[in-house]
Amino acid sequence: MKLNLKVKLFVAILCLITFAICTTASSTESKPVRIDCDVHAGPCSANISGAKVSLEIEPKPVEAMKDLIFTVTFVGEKPVTNPYIDLGMPGMNMGRNRVILKPAGESLYRGEGVIVRCPSGRRTWKATLTVPEMGVAEFVFDVVY
Amino acid sequence: MLSTETIYFVIFSSGLAVGFGHCIGMCGPIVASLSLNLKGRSVLAPHLLYNVGRITTYGLLGGIMGATGSFTSVTAGIASLQKGVMVFTGILIIIMGLAMAGWIPLGSIFGDYYNPGGLLSRTFGKLSKTRSTATYYPLGMLLGLLPCGPVYTALIAAARAGMEAPSSLRGSLIGSGLMLSFGLGTVPSLLLVAKLADLGWLKRRDIIYKVSSVIMVILGVYFMVKGIRY
Repeated sequence: MKLNLKVKLFVAILCLITFAICTTASSTESKPVRIDCDVHAGPCSANISGAKVSLEIEPKPVEAMKDLIFTVTFVGEKPVTNPYIDLGMPGMNMGRNRVILKPAGESLYRGEGVIVRCPSGRRTWKATLTVPEMGVAEFVFDVVY
Repeated sequence: MLSTETIYFVIFSSGLAVGFGHCIGMCGPIVASLSLNLKGRSVLAPHLLYNVGRITTYGLLGGIMGATGSFTSVTAGIASLQKGVMVFTGILIIIMGLAMAGWIPLGSIFGDYYNPGGLLSRTFGKLSKTRSTATYYPLGMLLGLLPCGPVYTALIAAARAGMEAPSSLRGSLIGSGLMLSFGLGTVPSLLLVAKLADLGWLKRRDIIYKVSSVIMVILGVYFMVKGIRY
């Protein structure tokens, strides 16, 4: 069966779209993301330019579509300006979901946020803690649906 | 604290980015199915109506979020409805797929009009065509309820704006405006998918329609399973 040029062009476009979808939307599945934090068990720790920071999310277990409290504690150097957390999924654009942290004690910052549920069924989320003038730390973890 | 104008721009930009980075993959198959179902008719009017319907729902949800200032309580209230919409979408895509290939005697859903000869028949044909195009608006409204991560994220912003607003009415207006901005940002990507899936320019469509029908049935089953599990 001889296909004309337009059919070939259509098939080429279809392949291109399929390839684009597979390499962008499913990038998480093709490259497994390392989960470095069990938020259900307790706080998770990381280092930012000489300071040790820990992230605690409550209540536990950490569930999607629930009101959550994010608490960040600094040991060592303290931030000059308030830090904030961006919530997102590794390899998937979920829109801007920022948790604003406010001082809640000595070297302690707290804020409220929600981790949303993805209909694809993926549960792995990433909290990117940004401390202006100091740097960023990433926490990758699974949530409960 | 961002100014109101800046928030609208940020959320519109977020919609634009999410459209190309997320919606094409997650909602693209639905849009492509609707395009294929038009069977060569112009995709612009139906898909514009579909998008207006979708954005209408976003605006209404944003208004509720802004008025209540609570994201979690509203989403908990509509969770079962969203689950139902997801299952319905799966069934709809399956029916469209089967009808498109002529495997069930329903004609082309939403595009079901015949090619008449006489004046009366032609008039009826045009009316039927207009009516079938118009159905894309309520369909868009309904599918605007589909559970979607980035839509949830935008709704969080709408709820936050409502919490900071001086009154429920003001919160509702801001929340609604934010969701309309977000929805508008997602339109270009979905219109692009609609246009790419349009086979109006293709002469030999039968084979593509048959293959697409099978894909649509598989996709519909996938949506149904996801909906039941959601």
